[in-house]
Amino acid sequence: MNGLRTMGSPVSLVFLLAWLVLFSTGCARHDQHTIDGAKNVLHLFNWNNYIAPETMDRFEAFCNCELSQDYYSDNEEMLAKLAAGATGYDLIVPTGNAMDALIRQGALKPLDKSLLPNLENINPAYLDTAFDPGNKYSVPYAYTLTLLGFNQEKISELGLPVDTWAIIFEPEYLEKIRGRVTVLDSQRELMAAALKYLGYSVNDVDENHWQEAADLIVRAKPYWAAFSNTSYVKELAVGNLWVAHGYSNDMFQAAFDAKKTGRRFTIGYSTPKEGAVLALDSMVLHRSGSRPDLAHQFINFMLDGKNSAELTNLIGSGNPNMDAMQYIRPEIARNEAIFPDPELLTRLEMLRDLDRKQRRLLSRLWTEIKLR
Amino acid sequence: MINKGAGDARLARFLVGGPPLLFLVIFFVAPSLIMILTSFRFPGEFGGLAPVTPPGDTVAGEHGLTAEAYQFFFGDILYAEIFLKSFVVASATTLICLIMAYPLAILIARSKKRFRNLMVLLVVLPFASNFLIRIYAWMIILGPESGLSHFINAILGALGIPPVTLLFSSFAVLVGMVYVHLPFMVLPLYTNLEKHDPSLLDAAQDLGANSWQRFWRVTWPLSLPGVFSGSALVFIPVLGMFAVPEILGGTGDILIGNLIKDQFLGTRDWPFGSVLSIMLTLAVLSVAGLATWFSRFAAGQRA
Repeated sequence: MNGLRTMGSPVSLVFLLAWLVLFSTGCARHDQHTIDGAKNVLHLFNWNNYIAPETMDRFEAFCNCELSQDYYSDNEEMLAKLAAGATGYDLIVPTGNAMDALIRQGALKPLDKSLLPNLENINPAYLDTAFDPGNKYSVPYAYTLTLLGFNQEKISELGLPVDTWAIIFEPEYLEKIRGRVTVLDSQRELMAAALKYLGYSVNDVDENHWQEAADLIVRAKPYWAAFSNTSYVKELAVGNLWVAHGYSNDMFQAAFDAKKTGRRFTIGYSTPKEGAVLALDSMVLHRSGSRPDLAHQFINFMLDGKNSAELTNLIGSGNPNMDAMQYIRPEIARNEAIFPDPELLTRLEMLRDLDRKQRRLLSRLWTEIKLR
Repeated sequence: MINKGAGDARLARFLVGGPPLLFLVIFFVAPSLIMILTSFRFPGEFGGLAPVTPPGDTVAGEHGLTAEAYQFFFGDILYAEIFLKSFVVASATTLICLIMAYPLAILIARSKKRFRNLMVLLVVLPFASNFLIRIYAWMIILGPESGLSHFINAILGALGIPPVTLLFSSFAVLVGMVYVHLPFMVLPLYTNLEKHDPSLLDAAQDLGANSWQRFWRVTWPLSLPGVFSGSALVFIPVLGMFAVPEILGGTGDILIGNLIKDQFLGTRDWPFGSVLSIMLTLAVLSVAGLATWFSRFAAGQRA
């Protein structure tokens, strides 16, 4: 305490000034958007690592413009930044439910489809979703499935099934892999898996069904090592984990890492037969963007099969583009966890947003799950 | 003359005390008021808050003020449980830090002057690398394939005890918490112990006190202010910490910090998050008040 008092006022003033300077530079950044708006810059607000570098280069050459990107690592972060007043983005790539929020807030510009001839490349199964009927605002970009990743050798050694959520919920299987399983630290995703396993929709909001799902989770919880949203990628790849509930592109990464580092096991992943969550990311035009012309060029460019395929080849994302299939590396194109067969596709669902009462209730249930 | 002197003193006091006061107002009082207001509002449809005044042509929904979030908090024993749990973890961390830091602080305070600065530097050196990287390092150290895990389980195996997993457990959370906060305990203790007059110990020895008595009757009571400020510096941040349980914790390691973070990100329920934060602030203030009272009490005892 004495130390603080003797520091005196000049030091506190310096701190205050430092804060002010930091804050003001933070605000000033956005003005640049308008300054360089004149020299052909397309501003993209995108997920981390969500466009191949060679695709970027080719687009810049094609449009004779510069592609400037800002990144986010989840939808909430993107929404929060926009809510805090970030502007100047021509294009954003939100997931379905976040896009739904943006549409209802009136934050998006409608598309001019006459500028998007390549739209016909998109598989109709991914068009006309509940979030944007008729695709007035959005064009599908890529998708991710929430599924199960596993250590191939361990699982066949133990004789466990990998085509069902039972492996992360049923004690008879969990017995054999106790402490070697993680599930996503996400209220919606984990509940979705449990609801699917119980035969309900991922968007079921019946309180009794929620309770049933929570009971299932609480029963399985003692066998799980942890709730993990990111570290499971590394832990699977080094062999610490044998089964993980996670995203298909993360599993692709884990499999790649395990292979590259020459592990004596392989990482496999598959979509449970009960169905799973499909997260479709779409390109949308933000209201604050100043270059809708470039944005349409970009969308049409990305709808070209070759360009679209490069992303899938890079990160193993699902691809809704039918023309892209011929350019996708065969081992990825054959992977049913990334490209589900039409029969399974009918059992994949996209998460819809919950209303505020449901959110609070689910959060309470989640706290109870964690505390028990 | 006398009046002018008093005025100068008042001006000087204002100049010295003003900026820190302003700092407190801007960074503590104002945010707290905003938080209190937030806690009485409705959550917005897309996150954020619903408007206080009736919406015009915007999306219809609730508006105005409500004590709903408080009802939700007090209507459920669950939230009291999680507070209790966070307090237990924070107390355990503080106690372990104290036990580990005290000998180290004494060692530093009693070593030669030219080594002291180097040792203090070594204590704060971990701050040179990023907090998250240091926590991730613990994931490797405690991981099931790590040397430490193999070593411990080999010993347990020899004794016929089934193997344990270190990572993703309350143990790992405690290790992470202690590791991160240890310097905050060492520094105030060292600052305090360094100021002790060694002749007091000599006097105690001349009067026949053995080494334990010298510590317990002289050093310990004199170091209490350092113990209290160190404890506050550890206890309070641990209460609000969410990163360590999230990274190192297992399936049951949720603390109040995680719950608050969840309200603002995952659940998008700002009013309830504000209620939780207010309760946490109140809890922290009462702990700080209690610590102040204790240290005054301890000082009074000595006087």
